[in-house]
Amino acid sequence: MSDLVLGISAYYHDSAAALVADGVPVAAAQEERFSRRRHDSAFPAQAVQYCLREAGVGLGDVAAVAYYEDPRLKFQRVLTSFVASAPGGFPAFEAVLPSWLSWKRRTADVVRRELAALDMGPVPEVICRRHHESHAASAFLPSPYPSAAVLCIDGVGEWATTTLWHGRDNTVEPLAELRFPHSLGLLYSAFTYFCGFKVDSGEYKVMGLAPYGQPRYAPLIREKLIDVKPDGSFRLDLRYFEFLRGRVMTGRGFEELFDGPRRHPESPVTEREFDLASSVQQVTEEVVSGLARTVRERTGERYLCLAGGVALNCVANGKVIDEGVFDEVWIQPAAGDAGGSLGAALMVAAERGSPVRAHVGTGRDAMSGSLLGPGYRDDEIRRYLDGLGVPYTELDPDTLVERVAAELATGRIVGWFQGRMEFGPRALGSRSILGDPRDAAMQSTMNLKIKFRESFRPFAPSVLAENAKDYFELKQDSPYMLVVCQVAPAQRVASSTPAGVTGLDLLRVQRSTVPAVTHVDLSARVQTVSEHVNPLYHRLLTAFKERTGCAVLVNTSFNVRGEPIVQAPADAYACFMRTNIDLLALGNFLLEKSEQPEWREDGDWRTAIPLD
Amino acid sequence: MRKILIFLLYYLVITPVGTVWRSVRDPLHRAREPHRDSYWNDLSPAP
Repeated sequence: MSDLVLGISAYYHDSAAALVADGVPVAAAQEERFSRRRHDSAFPAQAVQYCLREAGVGLGDVAAVAYYEDPRLKFQRVLTSFVASAPGGFPAFEAVLPSWLSWKRRTADVVRRELAALDMGPVPEVICRRHHESHAASAFLPSPYPSAAVLCIDGVGEWATTTLWHGRDNTVEPLAELRFPHSLGLLYSAFTYFCGFKVDSGEYKVMGLAPYGQPRYAPLIREKLIDVKPDGSFRLDLRYFEFLRGRVMTGRGFEELFDGPRRHPESPVTEREFDLASSVQQVTEEVVSGLARTVRERTGERYLCLAGGVALNCVANGKVIDEGVFDEVWIQPAAGDAGGSLGAALMVAAERGSPVRAHVGTGRDAMSGSLLGPGYRDDEIRRYLDGLGVPYTELDPDTLVERVAAELATGRIVGWFQGRMEFGPRALGSRSILGDPRDAAMQSTMNLKIKFRESFRPFAPSVLAENAKDYFELKQDSPYMLVVCQVAPAQRVASSTPAGVTGLDLLRVQRSTVPAVTHVDLSARVQTVSEHVNPLYHRLLTAFKERTGCAVLVNTSFNVRGEPIVQAPADAYACFMRTNIDLLALGNFLLEKSEQPEWREDGDWRTAIPLD
Repeated sequence: MRKILIFLLYYLVITPVGTVWRSVRDPLHRAREPHRDSYWNDLSPAP
């Protein structure tokens, strides 16, 4: 029997479970994919059940359960924050304290009880690791490097908000930390809130908005909000933030600095929000670059591993890579709190003597392309489709790939549901909606008719790894779509932006041969696809290239706005029928929208899914 | 009843403790310190 460690992250946002067998991640998934509640923070019961089912084991076979943070230390931070902000923080105190007194400070017991309730065997020991320790382990232990500098940046866990580590062999050694309330993640979240988006959810929208604006507020942010030292360490000026006192991120301080009240959610985005996004993005990039230089100096390492929510800021990641401080950068694909479940499990597995670094030397990481979620066999999919009584065509994989490539080449949009689901926030060619990037109208079509989301949101390209440099100025592979770079000069269209065109009007200017995936600043959030990581998706891209000469596809997550990415065939079929996706490739089964029976469901699904 | 208890706890315990604590030093180290070269809390000696 393998040495099994189950990792769990829960009770804040993006609950998840991960299973490590003999030091190798074998299963991992976020609870939201099963519960269909985005960023679900509940105990990840279904994700745990899936992980155990995937390995064919029960809880009695698991040697230890690793929880991703230390609840007692976190409670200490929460209490200290209230003491430090009294008497101004009563509303937050009243809202938060009861849950801490009743159960949160005893989270390990709660996890034990929840596991027992699954009735999957005797519950093993529950071990709590620190939040940033889990992030650091998730960044370094599965990375392909024998040793590396490790940088973790997020909102907050217990006390730490930014940490530097030195990863060697099967350990991560802490070097330095910045502590709450001084947090780059919370600074970014404050602007997310002020721009009218949801905290811990809308940060990537701010990142997407930034290229539309000018960083005219950046000097003000540097002067008033954040004091950055030459070594990248920083402190926030808490007089301008409300998160210590209340249940909101910003208040009058921000309003006075940034020309009025926060944008009301769902109201039109204005030039001010573009400029705020551009400004906080610029400052964030400066700070992340400074932190990267410092951890390089302190460790002397040539490789960098990144994790924590801020490591999902692909633009900042791209800047760190471009600066060439490190030979290469590896980013944990589940860099946010979900990945903490995997990091905690890997760390406990390493301590138990499991060979968590056996992959080092192969040139590959231990994440299996992050395809660690549930997969469905063709007989399961057929049973589902036959149960629905809907028409489909069963094809062999070669024919399926050729047919889908041909349909994409004619401008049709395809739901692509294949193999095991991705772990982490990005769809990487297993639960994706695909389109032709050469079509200038594709960005707006997919935003408004497929995803039902804001028109400013950019789409990302998947590109054959062997052709990546033909299309993008990419200095290294980007298998997890976590790096933004510029479109290669050879693909740029020689057209200049007409004078006076600003904001969303910038979208109308075609800038490259792949306009659907080229942002207004000529950037793209690239996924490089290798044959050894996702062979079927690689074949599809190859077939599309053979047919069109273009080695790129638009790849967006298989969901609509506010909904988690689809997990099961039923989720995929519902999303297919609710939207204007033309075709659904569900395993080896191809479904044509025009042949499907009318879709009926109770109520309006758009009102049932809360906006993100 | 619970709200009253939380109210009393906050204003009779948390607030006085906070006032005294802050008069000695800020537990959250909120002030900017221009004279310092770095805000890092070292956890292990630099190489």
